[in-house]
Amino acid sequence: MALDFTLSEEQEFFRQMVRDAVNRLIMPRVQELDEKEEFPWDLWKDFSALGYLGLRHEEKYGGMETDTISQMIFYEELARGSCGFAMAAIMQILMGTYFIARFGNENIKQRVLVPAIKGEKIGTICFTEDQSGSDLGGTRTLATKVDGGWKINGRKQWITNGPIAEFCTCMATVDPKLGLKGLNFYLVEKKTADRDGFTPGQRLHKLGSRCSVTGELVFDNVFVPDENFLGEEIGKGVRYAGDILNEVRIMTAMNALAISKGAMEDAREYAKNRIAFGNPISKYQLIREKFAKYWAWYEASWNYAYKCAWMIQNKIPCTNECMLAKYHATEMCMYAVEEAMRIYGGNAFCTEYPPQRYWRDAKFLLYGGGTHEVLCDYLGRIFLKD
Amino acid sequence: MNFGFHLAFELWHLTLGGPMEIYVLAKQVPDPEAIIKVKSDSELEIENKYFTSFFDEIAIEAGLKLKEKFGGKVTVLTVDNKKVDALRRGIAMGADEAIQITDPALEGADPFSIAKVLAAHLKGKSFDLILAGRQAMDDDAGIVGPAVAELLGIPHVHAVIGLEVDDAKKEAKVTREVENGKEILSSPLPALFTCQKGLHTPRIPLVMNVMKAMKTQIKKMDLASLGLSAAEVGLSSAKIKVSKYSPPPKRSPVKMIKEDMPENVKTLVRLLKEEAKVI
Repeated sequence: MALDFTLSEEQEFFRQMVRDAVNRLIMPRVQELDEKEEFPWDLWKDFSALGYLGLRHEEKYGGMETDTISQMIFYEELARGSCGFAMAAIMQILMGTYFIARFGNENIKQRVLVPAIKGEKIGTICFTEDQSGSDLGGTRTLATKVDGGWKINGRKQWITNGPIAEFCTCMATVDPKLGLKGLNFYLVEKKTADRDGFTPGQRLHKLGSRCSVTGELVFDNVFVPDENFLGEEIGKGVRYAGDILNEVRIMTAMNALAISKGAMEDAREYAKNRIAFGNPISKYQLIREKFAKYWAWYEASWNYAYKCAWMIQNKIPCTNECMLAKYHATEMCMYAVEEAMRIYGGNAFCTEYPPQRYWRDAKFLLYGGGTHEVLCDYLGRIFLKD
Repeated sequence: MNFGFHLAFELWHLTLGGPMEIYVLAKQVPDPEAIIKVKSDSELEIENKYFTSFFDEIAIEAGLKLKEKFGGKVTVLTVDNKKVDALRRGIAMGADEAIQITDPALEGADPFSIAKVLAAHLKGKSFDLILAGRQAMDDDAGIVGPAVAELLGIPHVHAVIGLEVDDAKKEAKVTREVENGKEILSSPLPALFTCQKGLHTPRIPLVMNVMKAMKTQIKKMDLASLGLSAAEVGLSSAKIKVSKYSPPPKRSPVKMIKEDMPENVKTLVRLLKEEAKVI
């Protein structure tokens, strides 16, 4: 039995428990969360209390040390609710705390990681700048070595949770001329009366994922002590980032699977009830074809994404596989949200109906973790052995 | 034992009540989203999606609330040959133990037989309270709870929306909804109450307990260990037998009335009277 894609009874139970929590806490508020475009502090508090923010962290810091497949089940179920809320929570669980958990000393973990797992301090990670995103080598935020620590100068953009973050893992370069080889991660906390730190800049208003707040962080000659350098060696930041990218890509695939499923399940209900020319529109072949195509692509995406999760869990190298899975799931999701818009006909153009929300939320997946253009360029090169 | 401590404990026990031994009867039912088809006259084909019957979840919550107040132990019991979702959910919510009674001979058992099996397990055990849902959300029978109470010879109140226990006096005050009001009853303990919506909102399990529930080894018991035979509780002894399952009628096609005003209104009224028979 070398090939077995069934989830165990325990994993199915875990999925059911997460789904149940999402159904009770988030689903009734999905539309409100989208419309208000505010971070839902009350929901954050209730959700944090359940303990899911510690999903992948060590038990001694309040985490659960779950396996990769369970984490992916969680991401898939969470994104089925509000995509924006999922973005905020996943930032906290995965990217926002990963380097702190990996490289932070005990003092840092107690000060930052423990309250992050409890949901008391919100964290984020800062890669993107005005001239760099997928192109990390173009990072210009500068880290200069000084006595006892580092001085950080620069501006970061598109920071999920940025406007409400208490701490961040900031990617900065020791010398922009070194490109990818000059990059490092630093823990930077928010500026207070007695501590140097970052200050939140302009907040962005987004097309989708609107209840996760996104904005700019400003690092104005911020001093951080040596212990805030998150890494073992200078200049290895990109390699460290690579260690988490597989997980990030499959997490993104999970979000795509969830959004597409939500969109198409809603569309199915609509198609079965919307009468045109004397029949529910689900009786017409052109409508049925949309569901059939979606279903085929969804199943392929789901199985491949979970295969990648299994490879990550079993420490099998899978960088290309994870890129392919992210690409496939996201493009499948683009198809699903577009077709859901068509199934709803003119009603799709009205904010009262849900497909426009799925459509807007899904677009974010095209850019998170690298644009599809950059991804495809790389994958094409690998395939061509260029 | 330290006498002073013992006395203090006894006084505490008298004033506040001691730890409570609570059993909750729970059932896993098909998820509302599961696809159910009529396979034959006597068999349904149910998609493999199950969840805990909602009223049973309320019963688990009620048990946990009492445990939090008085201390003690909550054990969730189910009779099912395949699924244990309700038991895992019970543990995830905070129950202490979960027991699955399972035996091939139970295939096709009716609600009364299920009650006999549960009563056989509970007989002779020391407990203060048995809680169950008011009815299962699949068959809506509502038989198992009352039948277990009857077989054990303990008081039973159906569909409670309020539950207060005076553990020192071994007494419970329960509230039921009746037409135009509420009925408040008191009952000595041990007793069995079935729980109605409104008693409590079931808690969302903490992930810590979910993980515990995933790893929990479910204790299994068979008929032999309960001193029962297949002839007593199996399909052959069922008092209720399914004679036929039939699917709900398909939605009739939409009829478009193509006449102009006012003829179309007249036709509509005639069709509503003669065909749909709704006016």
